[in-house]
Amino acid sequence: MTKKELSGKGQLSGEDERLLIQRVKAGDQKAFEAIFNHYVSRVYRQAFKFVGNEADAEDVVQDVFLLVYRKANSFLGKSEFSTWLYRLTANAALTKLRQRKKQKEVSLDEYLPKFRKDGHHLVRPVVDWTQDVDKFVAIKEYSQIIKEAMEKLSPMDKAVVVMSDMEEMSNPEISATLGITVQAVKARLHRARLFLRGKFTAQLGYSPT
Amino acid sequence: MAKKAQLRRVNPKKVDTCKQATALILDYLTGELDPRMALLFEEHLMVCPDCVSFLNSYKETIKFTRSLSYENIPPDMKKRIRRFLRDNFR
Repeated sequence: MTKKELSGKGQLSGEDERLLIQRVKAGDQKAFEAIFNHYVSRVYRQAFKFVGNEADAEDVVQDVFLLVYRKANSFLGKSEFSTWLYRLTANAALTKLRQRKKQKEVSLDEYLPKFRKDGHHLVRPVVDWTQDVDKFVAIKEYSQIIKEAMEKLSPMDKAVVVMSDMEEMSNPEISATLGITVQAVKARLHRARLFLRGKFTAQLGYSPT
Repeated sequence: MAKKAQLRRVNPKKVDTCKQATALILDYLTGELDPRMALLFEEHLMVCPDCVSFLNSYKETIKFTRSLSYENIPPDMKKRIRRFLRDNFR
């Protein structure tokens, strides 16, 4: 293995990665450094998507790489290493989110669509703001509104949105990572998206329902 | 009798209401609705501008979420974590 690969700057081939992991399992710190250098940026970005701030993302990255070092033997090679690492990251990030002091409970219902007795939208017409959204919000503001709205979601709902809409994982992959059924993934995802849509719509001055 | 009623609920002949249509959006967008249900959903859209607007804003929200970007790890933080890990391995 070249010095460049050990520094994390080069591309790791599957074979190189397998060898490095074997060495990490044997307690080789140089190999661990190489794995760390190669994956730390990716793990940080993934963690940040869940926890939403630098300090918590740093804690998650530390926890994840401690686990990699201590539990390397539990990686049996049945999945890709990156998949195993992602699961560690998602679980560490979820733990972090659950440890947070509970914020004032926000009722999602307020921003979900509501229907009349006959099943039609309660507030009509439903405004299609997608054509002229630029008139209301500067591009930079979109992301701030969505990020703030995501902070209101429960840890599990947020995890589902991150994995589905940001990481573009399939529902079965999310189900396997979080240990919940595909049906539960879909239910959480749909409700969370309806909430985000409602929050955004309300921010533009329209009825979220 | 109860079974027939249940079947009608799960597999209606029409998507008559916005409530029914809204419940189908997720599967419609991932192509997981069976073709007959997808057709019923689209038939509802043809007569319901409210649901067209709703679907557009639902899709746009996903697009916004997907486009969120995040910074790379700050170099100082990387150094700090490396030091922390080394200290913990001793």
